[in-house]
Amino acid sequence: MRVTYLTGTTVYLRALLATDKETVAAWFPSPFPKSVAAAEEWLKESYGSWGSGKPTYLIIAQYSDDQPVGSCSLRTHDYRRAFLNFTMAPWLDNADELRAEALRLLIPWLRDDQEFMSVLVSIASDELATIAAAEELGLEQNVRLREYIARPGKRVDGFLYQALNTPWKVADA
Amino acid sequence: MRNPIMVGKRVYLRAFDVADAEQWARFAAEEPDTFMYRGRQPESPMHLETWAKGLYKPTTPHIIEFAVCLRENDALMGNMGIEDINWINRTGETGSFLGAPYRNSGLGTEAKHLILEYAFERLQLHTIISTVFEANTRSSAALAKQGYRPAGRMRRHDVKDGVYRDMLVYDLLREEWLAAREIWQATQNQHEAE
Repeated sequence: MRVTYLTGTTVYLRALLATDKETVAAWFPSPFPKSVAAAEEWLKESYGSWGSGKPTYLIIAQYSDDQPVGSCSLRTHDYRRAFLNFTMAPWLDNADELRAEALRLLIPWLRDDQEFMSVLVSIASDELATIAAAEELGLEQNVRLREYIARPGKRVDGFLYQALNTPWKVADA
Repeated sequence: MRNPIMVGKRVYLRAFDVADAEQWARFAAEEPDTFMYRGRQPESPMHLETWAKGLYKPTTPHIIEFAVCLRENDALMGNMGIEDINWINRTGETGSFLGAPYRNSGLGTEAKHLILEYAFERLQLHTIISTVFEANTRSSAALAKQGYRPAGRMRRHDVKDGVYRDMLVYDLLREEWLAAREIWQATQNQHEAE
């Protein structure tokens, strides 16, 4: 079930499906193992709908075989601001490049099509392809959190990049 | 591979599923070795199913909230907590609220040092952040006294009085908090001596 406006050359984004329980390790936003039964329960009970304040998840799937390779959680309370967090499958060697492509699909949709005033994205300082994509898309690095993310044997900073829409000028109807 | 968490050249690690119970029971039924700690015992697939179902239910908390109380009479003053806790990155965001009668009394600062001690010393968190609506200059000043450093701002976080307002972001490392607490404790000791 590909979404026409969220499809790139290597990956595409789509809504969660019941069958995603079978591939939970690829997209669930936690490094802890989750069984298929627990994933099924989570999909039924914990999944947030648009605007509920709970995160909504989009699966990042490979174009070549439709297999999930990650997810992006999107949280909004008011349809003005959106917060994005990526989770990539733990076995990938090219997670940064795939996340960068997903970001290139998401930002034009959220900022220009959905007209969010502000879209915030968490990116680690060593995710260079994602940072390059963010800057190419015109996002600003507005927050730098020191030593915020744990990596094997070291810590790296966390960035919040922000896509700002042009200010709304709303006329009376 | 089905849901791999760790992948080697020949093996991988994944979560247990209820479907594994049958095979697991077969391993137990066909166990050839006798020298292990409890010897060999038959296992019921039904028991193993229940075990596997329960394995992945417990979760670590993402939010820890405390009631802040006055020692002299146990009165509730407000709340302090740590939200968005990430147990892998060892990060969290502090938040607090004090009832109006207890503000500007120094009690909030004491409670804040307790929550930071809990975060850094007991939970062993590494970086704490806090966010403050830009108009809330009192909270920003309090964070600076507790050692927090400005980390940036989330622009146009909200609209107030027809204009966009930012949310200020601060971060704090353990050493910075220890230094700030030392200064605060010295001031407290000086007040007591006077």
